[in-house]
This record gives sequence, structure tokens and C-alpha cells, in this order.
Amino acid sequence: MLAVSAATPAFSATYILTVAGLGGEPDYDQRFTLLANDTDKILRAGGQTDRVVETLKGADATKAKMEASLNRIASQAKPQDAFVLMMIGHGTFDGQEYKFNLPGPDISGTELAALLNKIPAGRQLVVDMTSCSGGVAALLKKDNRTVITATKSGTEKNAVVFSRYWVDALRDAAADTDKNETISALEAFQYAERKTTQFYSEQKRLATEHPQIDDQQRAASFPLLKFGQAAAVANDPAKKDLLAKRDDIENKIDALKYNKSLMAPDDYRKQLTQLMLDLSKAQAEIDK
Amino acid sequence: MRFAAFLLVPLALSAQTLQEAENLHRNHDDKGAGHVFEQLLKADPKNATYRVRYADLLYQDFNVSDADKLYQEALQLDPKNARAYLGEARILADEFNPKANELLAKALENDPKLYEAHELMARAALEDDDTKKADAEADAALAIQADAVDAIAVKASIDLLADKQSPWVAKIGNRGKGYETIAHFFMINRRYEDSIAYLRKAVAATPDLWNAHSELGIDLMRLGREGEARQELEKAYSQPFHDSVTANALTLIDSYKKFTTFETPTTALRLNKKEADVLRPYFQEEMLRSMATYEKKYKYKLSKPVQVEVYPDHEDFAVRTQGLPGLGALGVTFDNYIAMDSPSGRPPGEFHWASTLWHEMSHVYVIAMTNDRVPRWFTEGLAVHEETAASPDWGDRLSPEIIAAIRDKKLLSIAEIDRGFVHPTYQAQVIVSYFQAGKICDYIVARWGDQKILDMIHEFARNRPTVDVIKEQLGLDPATFDKDFLAMIDKEYGKTVAGFADWTKQVRELNQLSKDGKTDEIITKGRAIEGVYPDFVEVGNVYTFVAEACLKKGDKACAIEEWGHYSKIGGRDPEIMKKYAKLLDEAGKKKEAAAALERLNFIFPVDTELHERLGALLLDTGDAKGAVREYQALVAMHPIDAAGSHYNLARAYKAAGQKDQAREEAVTALESAPNYKPAQKLLLEVSE
Repeated sequence: MLAVSAATPAFSATYILTVAGLGGEPDYDQRFTLLANDTDKILRAGGQTDRVVETLKGADATKAKMEASLNRIASQAKPQDAFVLMMIGHGTFDGQEYKFNLPGPDISGTELAALLNKIPAGRQLVVDMTSCSGGVAALLKKDNRTVITATKSGTEKNAVVFSRYWVDALRDAAADTDKNETISALEAFQYAERKTTQFYSEQKRLATEHPQIDDQQRAASFPLLKFGQAAAVANDPAKKDLLAKRDDIENKIDALKYNKSLMAPDDYRKQLTQLMLDLSKAQAEIDK
Repeated sequence: MRFAAFLLVPLALSAQTLQEAENLHRNHDDKGAGHVFEQLLKADPKNATYRVRYADLLYQDFNVSDADKLYQEALQLDPKNARAYLGEARILADEFNPKANELLAKALENDPKLYEAHELMARAALEDDDTKKADAEADAALAIQADAVDAIAVKASIDLLADKQSPWVAKIGNRGKGYETIAHFFMINRRYEDSIAYLRKAVAATPDLWNAHSELGIDLMRLGREGEARQELEKAYSQPFHDSVTANALTLIDSYKKFTTFETPTTALRLNKKEADVLRPYFQEEMLRSMATYEKKYKYKLSKPVQVEVYPDHEDFAVRTQGLPGLGALGVTFDNYIAMDSPSGRPPGEFHWASTLWHEMSHVYVIAMTNDRVPRWFTEGLAVHEETAASPDWGDRLSPEIIAAIRDKKLLSIAEIDRGFVHPTYQAQVIVSYFQAGKICDYIVARWGDQKILDMIHEFARNRPTVDVIKEQLGLDPATFDKDFLAMIDKEYGKTVAGFADWTKQVRELNQLSKDGKTDEIITKGRAIEGVYPDFVEVGNVYTFVAEACLKKGDKACAIEEWGHYSKIGGRDPEIMKKYAKLLDEAGKKKEAAAALERLNFIFPVDTELHERLGALLLDTGDAKGAVREYQALVAMHPIDAAGSHYNLARAYKAAGQKDQAREEAVTALESAPNYKPAQKLLLEVSE
């Protein structure tokens, strides 16, 4: 199955390619396809036109088709665009080379890096959710690219659960921890990482995967999924003064939080409560 | 002559060197002794005696695995070596393994004068509460060796356990080992204060009896006297050789700094700091609820507070049960101290902590009411009975092992049932014994009423044997009681036992039908066999096969019905219970959904999703107080969505009319997410 949203956006866009690789057995095939389907559905929800979503799964997730998709994105994306690659499935690592398992020939880490390096999008995110994915992290590392892997090295070879929780992060509002109606790459990673750790802890199993992220700061400013209407309000000129007032209060809150460790707890709490009340009132005015 | 001289030289050398090794051992130079033994074995590898003597040394130095290996090698070299059989038997006896007796019989067959074998047989018999056999074996040992200290100690123990003065105690004299043996019998009969008293005598008589120092430390630790326990354990640990029990106990005492204790006038709850805030409300409530129930039921008020210790690391809990017979797998009671696994210490759904707590709390009352004079079967049986008396879905379900035991007529007579706990003769006998003892108490309550249980407790407090109590209190001779009890078992479980083999086959077929997606057949077949073995709620249970098939057909009511049976009977899989609650919620049955999730609080409360969903349901159904409790638990677990959980707690406080707390929680939510609009709105509402 191949699913591509047809639009080629005129403005800043995010190109998202999801690939569910070879399961090797029916249970895994079914699981990987399901995760890819869910991801595709979540990304297409809301009819946002600034996204170009493409999903390769099942028999269509071949090396040739993956190469073709990446080449197509390389030809369409512009520097102001963003690019996301999500890989679900099994990987292998022989000590030197990582391979993403696909129906037919696998794609190697080196081949993948070469394809990704051709994509001109200025902000990139690669989420490799396969076993052994830690083995490819260094190869994919690039200044404008955040790399997330399900394992810390190429030697963590067992099938991973991280991918399940990554997809959960995209549909669970709880992942939006700062409640700004946007799930950043960092929020999704932290959600999935925590759930993965919890999984092994609850099952009393030795953790066989340790998710990694190469740059938290960059991931924090990478919006993976937006929902709500915050952006629309921000552009309303009639609310300019109110927005400025809100920004001012927010700055004061940031300053107060920065000084928290230097303050008496009661004093901090008192000031925080007042500022939060001020902010809440300002927001209520904006929302009128 | 030359030939004879050639033979004599190595023999003399051996005798001298063996003596040297044993002299070194007597002088506490076990490393030196071990070295000499190694040399001896190198020079004469086919000498079974060297192996046995060396094994004896290693056994005393707690190196049981190497000792075991040497005894076995000795028996290969000399299949008639009585001391090797004795050594092997000693290792098995330490694990309460009944096979020890077979080896002791072989030892005596090969050396009828081996009085230590009779001593060990006497010990095992008394562990089984078979005083007649214990006395006879002790006499047999004393007939061979008049001052055999363990035989004397067994005879003394028989008297002391029956609360009689014993002339045999004086015969122990200054031999600490004898007092240590008496302490052992008090310990396995849960009379820890008496055990401590005799261990003190043991170490006073023989200050370098390090094992007794260790046992004293562990007994003291059991009763919460950790300062003195540490001193005794450290004495044992400071020796060149010490056992793992000593080291583990010291490690556990060290770990107590990671715990915090919450006290009320009648309770003390020791929880690991990392989960204390989550577990405390649930444990505290069940402690108080169970104590109120038992106080009324047993007409008895405890004179001391009860301390409950909850261990998230099963290994820590395991230290508390070291050296005890039976399972001790979930919880253990030492007078008014309960130690148990934390729900976080086991995979979700495997452990019903509240059931275990009520079980152990029952022991606290029965032990206090009888001053520790109660047979094992009765206190365990009553504790098992109380689990399902608290709630029918608590306690353990009928397992395939128990079905097999009933089918194979392996249930023990009432007169012998204690043996099943201490010296099990087959793999599942401890579990079967718990079940049987529980059912006996169920049966007594059903036939004679709760008061009869109370009367029996009072009789056992007078140190009366089981057989006499059964005769006098129930008016039945033990054989008649057994017959009537088995008739009840047959009535209750006969259908399951008879149909179990076929049921197993049918479940396999259900599994295949499930793989083939034949939903209608699964529903028909599943419903037809559910009644054969209704207690089976483990992985692969029929209810779930049917419920999943119903869902595939889009018949949610049918799935609700199936999982309703599953839940009522005691199914504990959190994922299934959450699915069931979701279906109920979607069907508008919010109260029932909340009740389904509340069951999980007694099983696996360390689950953020559970508290979040239950909090929402309770809030929706007007139980603001319950919602506060659930959201407090959620906040205590530091969930990913910190802002959302504090906001929900604020909502619950607001609903409960606690505006100040609501405002505090709203501010805390906003601290991590200042632009969180629902929290802003709530803050304004509660600040008006």
C-alpha cells in the first residue's frame, strides 16, 4: 500500500515520510502496518495543508520505493521547509553497517544518509524506531537534523516497543506537557521514552532498548503536530495590546521561575499565584 | 615386610594430615584446613572419606553447593558411605525437603550407629509436629550416644512447645548448639520471642556459635528491633565465613533509609519513599478497614500497633522470609509485624495486595489471640478464608494444580495437614495445602458458623492439638470430618475435576478458532464450557476469548457480559479490566465502570492511566472525594502530563468544595504550562 497526499504546498511545508519495514512474521507485519496506518491517519487529521504526508507499508515498503520517495522529497522541499522520516520495523547491525529491513533488499545506513543529505529542508527529524537503530545515529547526524533512535546502540537487537509509544504520543494530548497545543519532537520523545521504561519496569523485564535523542534543544523547537487555534489568535491585530500584555506577564513568570531557588518558598508561591491570575485574566480578555 | 612398609607410609601420612586438617578447623583456621583437604584430595583422589570430611567443613562454612558436590562424589566412590548420606540429608533438611528422610534411612542402613541420622530424623518429625516419632528418633540417638545434644534438644523442644517444664534443658549444659535447636522449633512455630530467648542462651553458652548470632539477629529484625539485630548480624558477618542470609539481612537493614514510616495510634506503615505517596492512602485504608473487621469478628482488640512493611524489590521481601518453611511468597507475619511485596514488585495483575494484606492481618489477630499457639493449617486456612470473606473476588482461584491434587486424592487428612506446609512431598503441595486449609475453614463457617472458628481459636490458645480440637469443638472424629469435608469438595468441585481434561482440549480448540476468526463458534463453544471451570481467569481464559469474539462482531453488550463474569469471579488482568471499564463507560454505565477500575486499585495501583480514568469517572458520578484520592495518586506518580494531572486534581478539589486546595493545584498546573487555558479558567473561578 502506498499513500501520498497529493498537494505540493506553495508555502513553508513539512514533508513527512513514514516507512513500516518487513516484519518477518505475520504478527510483526501486522503490528508494523497498524502503527504506520495509525501514524498516517493522525498526520492527515484536521486537513492541514502545510503537510505532505506519505506512508510506505507492507509490500510497498521496498528499498526502491523508499529511495524514490526520498528523492521526490529532495526535489520538492525547500530550505524553509521541514522534513520528518519515521521508520518502524526491524533493523540489523553487523558491527559496521546498519540496515533497515525491507521487503526485498534492505537499505543500509550509508545509503539512507546519502539520500537524506540530498534533502534541502532546513529542519529535519529522523525517528528510527527499529531494533539496532542506535547503530545508525552517528551516521545520520547533521547540524540541521534531530535524530531519534529506539536503541542506544547497534547491539540492542530485540524488537522494540518504543514505536508503539511514539505513535501513542502523537494521539495523546497528555504528551503536550506545556499545553501549547503543539506536540514537539522532544515532547513526543519524552513521552515514548518514559512509556518504554515503564513497560520494562512493570513487566519486570530487563530493558533491551534505550531510546536516544541527539539534541533536546533542537527537538523542543521542532513542532511535530499542531492542534487547537493558538496560531489564529496570534495573528489578530485587534488583540495586539492584549497580546503584548500577556507576553509581558509571561516574561515575568519566566523570570520568577528562574529565581525560584533563590527565593523563600512562600514568597515564590505568592508571586507565582498573582502572576498566574494576571495571565489568566489577560488570556480571558484575548479569548473574548 | 618391605611390601607392608610401603603400604603403611601413605596411610600414616594420610591419617596425620587428615587430623591436621581437622585440628586446623577446630582452631578456626578453615582456610588452612581447606588447603590441607585440597592437598589430600590431590594425593588420593579416590578417597571418599576425605571428600566427606572436607564437605562437612565446607557445609559448616556455608559453602553448600561445593559441599553437596563433594558428598555426591563421595557416594559415587563409596555408595555405602553413611556420612555422605548424612551430609546430603542435612542439606535437604535445611530446605525442609522431605527427601532428607530417605537419605537418612540409607545412612542408617549402612551405619546403624550413626546417631546424628536419628537426630536429624527427630528434627524433621518435630518440624511436622509428629512428636511421637520425634521422641522415638531422639531416644534412638541417645541410646547410641547418651549426650547427643540435638536429640536432647528435640526432647526438650517437645516439652517446651507443649508449655511444659523440661528436664532435658538442663542436660544441654553449656552446649549452645542445643539451645539453637530449641530456638529453631520456636521459630518455625512462629514463637519468635521464645526463639530469641533460646538464641540468647545459645550465644551465651557458646559465644563463637556464629550461626546462632545470625539467627538471633534475624529474629530480632523480624520483630522490628533493628538496632540489636544489626549488632548480632554484624558479629556473624565479621567472621571469615558467613552465610548469604546474614549478608542479605544486613543489606536490608541498610536499605531502610530509603523507607519512610507513617504512624497512627494503631498502625505503622513502612513504605519505600519512591512510592509512599501513591500507596499510602490505599494501604492505610485497608489496614484500618481490616483491623476494624477483625476486631469485631474475633472480638479482640490488639494491644500493640501493627506494622506493615511494603517492599517494591521482591529480593528485599525475600530476605524477610529466609529460613522459613512454606511459600512465604507474597507476605509474611511475625507477631504484629507484616512484611509483604509491593504491588510494584510484581508484574501487573499477578498480585492482589489487598487480599494479601487481609490475609496477613488475620494472622496478626490469631497469633495474638493464641499467644502463638496455633497450628499452621488453622492460621493459614483462616487467613485464606478471610480473603474471600472480605470480597468474593479476592483470594486465589482454583488452579489446575489443585484440580490435579483433588483428582489424585492428594488432599491430606486433617490430622496430617500441617505436613503439607512444612515438608511438601510434591511440587504444588504447599499451594494445595493453603487451598485445602482455606476450604476447611470455609466449611466450618458454612456448617457451624463464625462462632465455631472463634471457639477453635480459643481452644488452640490452650495449646490443644488439632485432633482434640476437631473432636471437641465440631463433635466429629477426624476421620468423619475428613469424609464430610471431601464430600463438600466433591460437591463444589466435582464437575470441574471430572471435566477438566476435556475443558483443556476445548480451550485449545477455542484458541484455534480465535486464530481462524470464527467468532460465532467461539461464542457458542466458549459459553458452553465456561461453567465447567469457571474459576479459570488466567491468560487464555474463556471469558476473554468470548468477549473478544463479541467485540469483533460489534456486540459490546455481549463483551460486557463476559468480562462482567471475569471480573466477578476474580479476573485480575489490568488491561482486560480497563477494556471492560471502557465498554461500561461507553454504555453509559459510569458507576459500574468506576467500580471495575476500583478493583484494580487493590491489584496494581501504580498505574497512571488507572488513576486518571478512575478520577474522571468518579468526578462524573459525583464522587468528588474519590476523585481527589485518585488524582492525588496520579500526581504522586509524577506523570508525563504534570500540568494536566494537577489541573484534574484542582477540578476534583473544586467539586469537593475545597477551593483553597483547588487554587493551589491550578497554580501548580500553570507553573509547568502557563498557557494551559482550562487551568487558567479554573484558577479564575476559584479565586473569585
